[in-house]
Amino acid sequence: MDTNPDKVDEEFYLCLKDYYSTEEIIELSAFIGFNIGFHTWFGTLGFYPMFTPDGRLVDQEESARIYGEKPISHTKGAIERSQ
Amino acid sequence: MSIIEPIPLETLNQKNLEYRLNLARDLLVPDELFFQITAHAPGYAEALFDAMYQSHALGEVDHTLKEIIRIRLTQFSKDTYFSNLRSKKAQDLGLTEERIVAGCGNYSDDNQFTSAEKWALDYASLMYSNPKMVNANFYNEGKKLYSEANIMELGAFIAFHYGMQMFMRTLKLLPLNSSNQ
Repeated sequence: MDTNPDKVDEEFYLCLKDYYSTEEIIELSAFIGFNIGFHTWFGTLGFYPMFTPDGRLVDQEESARIYGEKPISHTKGAIERSQ
Repeated sequence: MSIIEPIPLETLNQKNLEYRLNLARDLLVPDELFFQITAHAPGYAEALFDAMYQSHALGEVDHTLKEIIRIRLTQFSKDTYFSNLRSKKAQDLGLTEERIVAGCGNYSDDNQFTSAEKWALDYASLMYSNPKMVNANFYNEGKKLYSEANIMELGAFIAFHYGMQMFMRTLKLLPLNSSNQ
């Protein structure tokens, strides 16, 4: 939906219906759309999470050091940097 | 046949949706089809409409500017549903189709738009075409023209409506009433 929305076509939805109910498809689609919009917006604000992966409250400077500039898995360094 | 079959209006939860449907019928953005699609997920029609209405029709930022921004965003989302809806409230406030077209075009050199309006149009345009340009310097310029509250109002409005446009785009829908264009 975000990177190649043309591929989310009628055939794609037909495949989805093999696995999910219409209720679940709408739930997923609206959730994904909402997150596409808000992730990009929040990305422009330059905020980092208030908490480390294990739940410790940190300031924005430390959070930036822990999480880095690219959104990647916590297992790729954030957990180690928070300790 | 639709990708997602709309739920017949008469079977929607009237208790929860009636006043929202009436608000939508007054504003014309969205139309009833949005409810008929999103109501497949219980509670979603209510929650999504409330956020859409709050961010678009209410708030401190000029509704006609938001309406231009909403339609400009469809140039990026390429959504045929929201691109063809027009706010009646914006029309009643004097927004013309000519001004919408101007806002969707090269508004940078257009004297009919103020510096604040141009910044808001840049905000929406850059957010989903070149978000790295929406940086601290860009926000500092915005703060000369808007309060932080207004900037958050604009940002949340842009993010939410773009997200809903991307969702509706995949369903390849058009507004229910083709005269609402």
